[in-house]
Amino acid sequence: MAWTRAGRRWAWALALVLAAVALAVPLTVARRQEPPPRGAPVNVLLHDFKVQEDVAVVPAGLVTLRIRNQGPTRHELVVIRTDRAPDNLPLQQDGLTVDEEEDGIKLVEEVNGMDIDEHQTVDLRLAPGNYVMYCNFEGHYLGGMHASLAVR
Amino acid sequence: MPVTQRPAAGGRPGIGRLFPRLPILGDLRLIRRFGWVIPVLIVLVAAIVAYNGRAISQQRGSALVVYTAGRQRALVERYTKDVLVKVDGFQADPKDSGEAMRQPVDVLLDGGSVRAPQGGDARVEIAPARDRKVRLKLEQDRRLINDLIVVGDELLKGGQEAPDYEANVTKLRVLSAQLSSVSNDAVQEITEQSEASLSRLVQIEIALGVLSVLAALGLGLLLRRAGSEQAAQFRSLVNNSSDLITVLAPDGTIAYQSPSVQRMLGRRPGDLAGTELADVVHPDDQDEVNASLARLAEGAPGATDTFGCRLLHNDGSWRHVESICTNLADDPRVNGLVLNVRDVTEQAALRQSISDLLHNLARRSQGLVDRQLELLDELERAEVDPDRLDELFRMDHLATRMRRNVENLIVLSGVDQRRRWSESVPLRDVVEAAVGEVEEYSRVRVAGLHDLTLAGQAASDVAHLVAELVENAASFSSPTTRVEVSGGPTGNGYVLEIEDHGIGMSDAELDEANRRLAEPLAADVAVSRMMGFHVVGRLAVRHGIKVQLRHSWFGGVTALVLLPAVLLGSAGEHPSMAPLVPAGVTASPERLLLANTTKSGWQPRAHLPLRQHAAPPPDHGRDGDAAAGAGEPFD
Repeated sequence: MAWTRAGRRWAWALALVLAAVALAVPLTVARRQEPPPRGAPVNVLLHDFKVQEDVAVVPAGLVTLRIRNQGPTRHELVVIRTDRAPDNLPLQQDGLTVDEEEDGIKLVEEVNGMDIDEHQTVDLRLAPGNYVMYCNFEGHYLGGMHASLAVR
Repeated sequence: MPVTQRPAAGGRPGIGRLFPRLPILGDLRLIRRFGWVIPVLIVLVAAIVAYNGRAISQQRGSALVVYTAGRQRALVERYTKDVLVKVDGFQADPKDSGEAMRQPVDVLLDGGSVRAPQGGDARVEIAPARDRKVRLKLEQDRRLINDLIVVGDELLKGGQEAPDYEANVTKLRVLSAQLSSVSNDAVQEITEQSEASLSRLVQIEIALGVLSVLAALGLGLLLRRAGSEQAAQFRSLVNNSSDLITVLAPDGTIAYQSPSVQRMLGRRPGDLAGTELADVVHPDDQDEVNASLARLAEGAPGATDTFGCRLLHNDGSWRHVESICTNLADDPRVNGLVLNVRDVTEQAALRQSISDLLHNLARRSQGLVDRQLELLDELERAEVDPDRLDELFRMDHLATRMRRNVENLIVLSGVDQRRRWSESVPLRDVVEAAVGEVEEYSRVRVAGLHDLTLAGQAASDVAHLVAELVENAASFSSPTTRVEVSGGPTGNGYVLEIEDHGIGMSDAELDEANRRLAEPLAADVAVSRMMGFHVVGRLAVRHGIKVQLRHSWFGGVTALVLLPAVLLGSAGEHPSMAPLVPAGVTASPERLLLANTTKSGWQPRAHLPLRQHAAPPPDHGRDGDAAAGAGEPFD
């Protein structure tokens, strides 16, 4: 069958679309793949009102926190080094948020305002010790959003 | 094939078909080609308006939603306070504040009406939240409110004495704080969403606005280009036209002349600017030109008039021109009279040549006819046999009629060569002499004429004029009827009436005849077909006489000849008249004698047979067709 001029145009258009799709798909997939963790991986899930981690003890050195907020509201994650119990941290005068300035508390990292479904990866070089991860929004810590992490 | 005729089926339908021919812009192919810009522009503007309205509406709605969500925190704090105050034994109503606390979340999630801020009692509808994140946060808000109310109820129920009082108070405060946090989060989310949505709308609006501006600019450029092309086309037409376009300013000076003035008058376009038109118009034509321009200037805007005149060429010669003049004084782009002047010098020369030829031929014929009449005179004088004499008289009449035809040709040639009389002539003599030139003079009855005199310089022409009208009346009426010639004074002169009882004329024929009488044309083929009317018209114009034909009450036609007062005088003022005989016209005592001896001594154009007044009406044994001529009036 001989190609008409219009037919050739449609064929070119189709070929261009297919080429664009063929190029876009691998790029999209590659972009969505997270890079491999550089340190000991710790997956941290935030949700109302819990902080869950898949491991409680990690080796000292480089630790990679892969944080995901499952919502349904905005959260943050504060990492402190302390020997206090996770549910017994000192509070500020409002009685609702943790006072990170208190003695015996060393602020290690603070990941601010993560929205629903947001991911963040944080590499921390942690020395051996006890660490606590919590959300310091008003009432969230007291609601139970805290977890301990031991570095050995 | 022109664009306008291209069939749509043969190619792209072309939105240009929507714009067939714009009367203002004329045949602009550019417009037809890019006419789609106009609907696109309209759509863009409509979209801007729609988006703008939507943005305003959304902005108001968003502001209300944010306001509603923002109240949440205050209501939670109030409920918490009410619970604690109540538990402490003081007056408070946590139930009401609890219900109030639920309301914003319920409205934001499920939709409903709220009281507008600063709106008095007016309530505004809020649509249910559709965004997933917003809904998740609001639902969490609602769960926490429920939890808060449960804890609050427990506190209210157990009071301070309850064992878990302290734990519940802490729980209440924690929940309240969480609620505040979640509410803030929800408000922030709603605000961000609204701002993002508004931002998108504004961006679309700006994009549409930019597109509209670009489209409008494009259309403007297009129109400008089209206008430039049209102006260039018009300029080219004016510059290359053989006609001279002249614009006269309201003060009568020449404001503009097209380049063709170089070709027509040998002058550069700007040479005559600022001068008066009269400076280049032949002195003999200035009255007509001034009258025409004055008529036009006083007429309605857009009125036109025509005139012919001679214009001075740069080499000193005169160019004959015909001008169509239009009053465009009301048009601010012109502000004056526009003259479209055409050079007709060659036509004028040709007409003059024909007139000269006509005149020369007529003059030769006139000489021959005059000699023939002289010979007939001699024969009539020598003849004693009544029958032979009658035949000679008939020949005499035919020759007289021939001479009048020849004189008609001279009149039509435009040469004013007449017999002039220095003294006034009785009007009756003039009329009777005119009747005497008609072959069927015996059917004509002259009655009721007043004793007036006619200015000598008009006598010959009036006699000729009346003779033509009388002959026309006699020719187009039955030989058994009479032709009546009478007269009567009017306010501005004297009216001669020549009335026949013939076949008459239709309205159209009458209008045409009157038009020719009023506006005699130059000699041409049309004139030759109705020569009599044109001759009468020309003779009348010479002396300001008005001639008009009307339907007669008796079925024929009445010709009215209005002699102006300036040509008239009262009887008794005419002494003996010494004729001024022009060249080529022979005055002989015999002809005066045979002219039935006009009392004034005025020499008529032809002699009347002696029996004119004595002769009874003819026996009408003659063929009527012969009298009627060839079927055309004044043929």
